Amino acid sequence: MFTLPIDILLIFAATTPIVGWIESKLGFKKLCGIYATVGLALSSYALYNLSMQALQNPILAPSDAIPSQSCLRIDALSIFLASIFIFLGFFVAIYSIKYMEKDSEISLYYALLLAMISGMMGVVFAGDFFTLFVFWELMCITSYVLVAFRKKHWEPVEAGLKYLVMSSAGSAAILFGLSILYGLTGTLKFVQLSKTFVLTSNVWGYVSLVFILTGFGVKAAIFPLHMWLPDAHPAAPTSISALLSGIVIKTGIYAIIRSLFLIYFPINFSWQTALMVISIMTMCFGNLAALLQDDIKRLLAYSSIAQIGYIFFAISVAITQTDVTIISYSLTAALLHVMNHAVMKGLLFLCAGAFIYKAGTRSLRELAGIGHKMPITATMFTVGALAISGIPPLNGFVSEFMIASSGINSGMLVPTAILLANFLLSFAYYLRLIKIIVWSVPSKKLEKTNEAPILMLFPILFLALSCIIIGLYPNPFIDMANKAAWSLLKY
Amino acid sequence: MIMLDYYIVFSIVLFFVGIYCLATKRNMMRIILGIEILINAANINFIVFSVYRTEGFVDPLAHSIVIVSIALAGCVTAVALALVVYAYKHYGTLDVRKLKRLKG
Repeated sequence: MFTLPIDILLIFAATTPIVGWIESKLGFKKLCGIYATVGLALSSYALYNLSMQALQNPILAPSDAIPSQSCLRIDALSIFLASIFIFLGFFVAIYSIKYMEKDSEISLYYALLLAMISGMMGVVFAGDFFTLFVFWELMCITSYVLVAFRKKHWEPVEAGLKYLVMSSAGSAAILFGLSILYGLTGTLKFVQLSKTFVLTSNVWGYVSLVFILTGFGVKAAIFPLHMWLPDAHPAAPTSISALLSGIVIKTGIYAIIRSLFLIYFPINFSWQTALMVISIMTMCFGNLAALLQDDIKRLLAYSSIAQIGYIFFAISVAITQTDVTIISYSLTAALLHVMNHAVMKGLLFLCAGAFIYKAGTRSLRELAGIGHKMPITATMFTVGALAISGIPPLNGFVSEFMIASSGINSGMLVPTAILLANFLLSFAYYLRLIKIIVWSVPSKKLEKTNEAPILMLFPILFLALSCIIIGLYPNPFIDMANKAAWSLLKY
Repeated sequence: MIMLDYYIVFSIVLFFVGIYCLATKRNMMRIILGIEILINAANINFIVFSVYRTEGFVDPLAHSIVIVSIALAGCVTAVALALVVYAYKHYGTLDVRKLKRLKG
């Protein structure tokens, strides 16, 4: 119905509660987790088969769609992002088998997790704005429930409510912008919009741009709309925080670049500068707020805001330019950083989750010196922290270098200088984090903690390995991101 | 026929009524109603444009969009009401300003 990878995920999501019932009869605690992992593995295999065709030519599904019918359209950008989603989702599902074992109603957790990933894949596969919106709501609603999953505590409920109010107001703004777009053009399909939508002096085009940017910006947590993120990401179970920080906010970025390059690219208006200012404010705010956090997950959440600022910097460079090589270069940088940030932030959150699982606290003061007790996790945490602050042999360096050089290439020296200062700032607080975790003397409370269980270590080790591999051999990944960027430019 | 402008002004005013409701109301139930108002403003826009785009033709696309979006709004409201119930259990109040233990 919606191409094989999404269908598999939806079917597995719908049947997981039944498996949960069987699990409760059999008394085998890990059945749901294994079932969900198998579903994600099958779906990634289907995605691999699909990508063989889609990388040559964009696929339309259903292939005989009439012009006004809503459809899916899968091109290189969709494949690039969907494979990131399913990659991180697979490891998070493995990690959750151990991490979530003490929670009740675990089958619902996996059903929601699979539905959320299928929603994200639907967002990147969509061929018209309304299909995008429906999958967007699927992703949003499941993520509200997942943030408030541990409803016995006050924190997830409060954070979930705050997240729900802000994010659904954003969704309503998207719908309002889409309605104006529909009124202007009579269609919401990407293919027809890119051909027919010519904005010369129509003020309603700008109005729809403002509404759509605001709505998607809430999800992407750009500066004035970020307030839900530092609450919602720490309050969720850590495996979900890894998904939220790693990939859910990236769907906002995807939707923004898709609509900007598809529809609003030809506008002659100085809103590009506004986007640049917003990106710089986003990264400055995220980094400054992360400097003195005591809560480890809150620190990582603020750092996510800063990374979104970096990605937006590259996008706003691409928007201001007219030379197509610079545009494709900076878009490649942005997309590569989307991938790298998903891997690095996923790794950092999963390591933080392992610390929290063993020590039972999120406060950095109480976690000080836990690296002595959990050497493998702490080493991998250090790899992730060094990667995200841009140390050369690791993957963060590649994309951050590309973002900075795209800023220099386009001649925007002052914003690039601020960007470099922000890189240094983020290095400062990640060094502080490494110092607290690894070099401090462990307190008495941590005496009994030991190394994380193997099911949690496996995803951590694999993500750290992919950090190193992408850092050492970035070329295939850069090619892939470049192809995705070109599929965006030549719709 | 009534002019298109009146409808658009109406839906934009309705949208800002929803924003005002979200910004100022203290009761959580009213905030959920505010979200509903926002979505309905967009729905009215879709319906109006479906009638006015071409003379004598009503676009069925917009109607199907509105039906689906009403269903989605129902889902959001269901989740929101469930969260409000849990918030009431934890805090003993429906006043949203009492929910400020997080620093945000």
